[in-house]
Amino acid sequence: MPRILKPILAVPFTLLFIFALAILPHLFQLNGGGGLHLDWSGSMSSVKDYFAGIGTGESFRFISGRKELSFWEQIGGYFRTSLFYIAIGALAGTTIGILVGIYFSLSRAAWLKRGVDLAASIPDFVLIILLQSLVIFVGKSTGVFVFKFASISSKDPAIALPLISSIIIPASYMIRSVALQMKLTMTEDYINVAKSRGFSKPHIVFFHALPNVLPFIKTDINKLLGILIGNMFIVEFLYNLRGVTKLLFTDTFSNNGYQYALAVNGLLALVIVYTVVYVLLRIYLWGWEKVFSR
Amino acid sequence: MNKTLAIGLAITAILFAAALFGQWLAPYDLHHQLKIDYILDDSGKGYLIAPPSPPGSDYPLGTDKDGYDLLTKLLNGARYTVLLSIGIALARIFIGGSLGMFMGYYGKQTVKPASGSSSWNMLNGIPVFIISWFVLRGITTNSSLSPLSLSLLTGVVLTAVGIPSVVSSVKGKTQVIRDRQFVQAAQSLGAGHWKIVRSHLFPHLKENLLVLIVQEVILVLALFGQLGIFNIFVGGTTMYFDMLEYHSRTNEWGGLIAQWRDLKGIYPWIFYYPLAAYILLIMGLHFIAHGLEAMYKKRYAKFSHL
Repeated sequence: MPRILKPILAVPFTLLFIFALAILPHLFQLNGGGGLHLDWSGSMSSVKDYFAGIGTGESFRFISGRKELSFWEQIGGYFRTSLFYIAIGALAGTTIGILVGIYFSLSRAAWLKRGVDLAASIPDFVLIILLQSLVIFVGKSTGVFVFKFASISSKDPAIALPLISSIIIPASYMIRSVALQMKLTMTEDYINVAKSRGFSKPHIVFFHALPNVLPFIKTDINKLLGILIGNMFIVEFLYNLRGVTKLLFTDTFSNNGYQYALAVNGLLALVIVYTVVYVLLRIYLWGWEKVFSR
Repeated sequence: MNKTLAIGLAITAILFAAALFGQWLAPYDLHHQLKIDYILDDSGKGYLIAPPSPPGSDYPLGTDKDGYDLLTKLLNGARYTVLLSIGIALARIFIGGSLGMFMGYYGKQTVKPASGSSSWNMLNGIPVFIISWFVLRGITTNSSLSPLSLSLLTGVVLTAVGIPSVVSSVKGKTQVIRDRQFVQAAQSLGAGHWKIVRSHLFPHLKENLLVLIVQEVILVLALFGQLGIFNIFVGGTTMYFDMLEYHSRTNEWGGLIAQWRDLKGIYPWIFYYPLAAYILLIMGLHFIAHGLEAMYKKRYAKFSHL
């Protein structure tokens, strides 16, 4: 298969996946007797309704609380919020990850590495909750609130703390994966050759080892983005940010039942965020390669 | 055996014992409740007793907002947290590991280190959390299913969503081993597929798989908590409408933390004791994984030239 076909083929698969994923809450139904049954016909009809509703615009209206809203009018703000945090998290996380990862692979400070490893094994939601309570604790005891710990209204959102939270998690993943690859690269013979030719340590690290580590980082982008988007659900929920994932989990299950169209549209918006950030990251890493590989 | 591994094993063993025997060790019955009471002592002074009670001699870890003993709740929830997460991890490794080994062994392509994006790589980009959320969101709240069957259902879902990442990891490692010379030598000596898998592939993978199991348990525990944040508790959620509250039916630890996260400022013990238990478990597992890695590294690894 030609390489150019792969990304094009990914589109129908992604669409299929989204339609299938969004149908799951419809498919699994509980009946009164305490059993689980699969509601195929109801599921099929809601997929049909979605396609029928595209023409009439019905698929792009949703109920939030007691109001009926238009998806197109609402999505802009949600989309920008999510894109902002995920893009910054991805770019800053990768940068920190590469630099600190290199440092970790070389340094002998074992306790530091152990500390980061341990912190990385603690789930993201625990870190965020602890971060929030730390800010509250410092604020209460000194009277100075360094950061806002949650958004109370959309006009006055908390920015710093969610940003820190969405950078820490990808960064800690990147640090470990870069440090691991870097260490493996350091055992290669060409590093020994470079050393014996008298190159300086920084030169070997950046111009001999790093170019061989960057491809591994490139293959890791998908996983990194997966972590970021999963993390975004938690960040947006705990900081009360109005992002795409917030739209998904607050309004898809409304009082009138499950809104299939909204789930599909929200997931599509999330995929677009994913794609944009993916392209951004590829360009960013391409820049790194331009500088360090020759 | 190094120190890290020993500490990890000790912590995990204690918590595992708590999971197995917790319900019999608990100081109170799950239904025992501290009720509002007014007590007059000998000197005529009156005390009002109202839940939640802070940690003290009667309630070693205090009680929750409704007056239930926290230690009892933790000991009863332990089996869901510990046993279910280990079960899910084992299932993931068993299914994903066999599939990965099979695909790595029979797959035609040779290893191309770091070659762009394969389709399994793309699958890694889908956060498992989203899938589990979509499946479980509709059926866990005020469900007619029993806590046990809901836990098993959650287990099946979390196993399924975790398999792709295990497959891709095991597949990659299998391909590397398959192309090594000793496997080719065995093939040319006439060894069958089963023989190669049994005495060459698996022995070389077993250390990796062991570490992978422990890491998967940590991932599953994180997923329990993340789902809990969205009021999807392992074993089901009871939702009270009069004062909108979500309660875990099984007292699974991740769920307890999520359920009580807003109380951390007012009644800190209600939030921080379950959190401590949960973090202790994760740390124990983390130490095991690290200890194993260190042990294997000592045996097999090459050394850095720089």
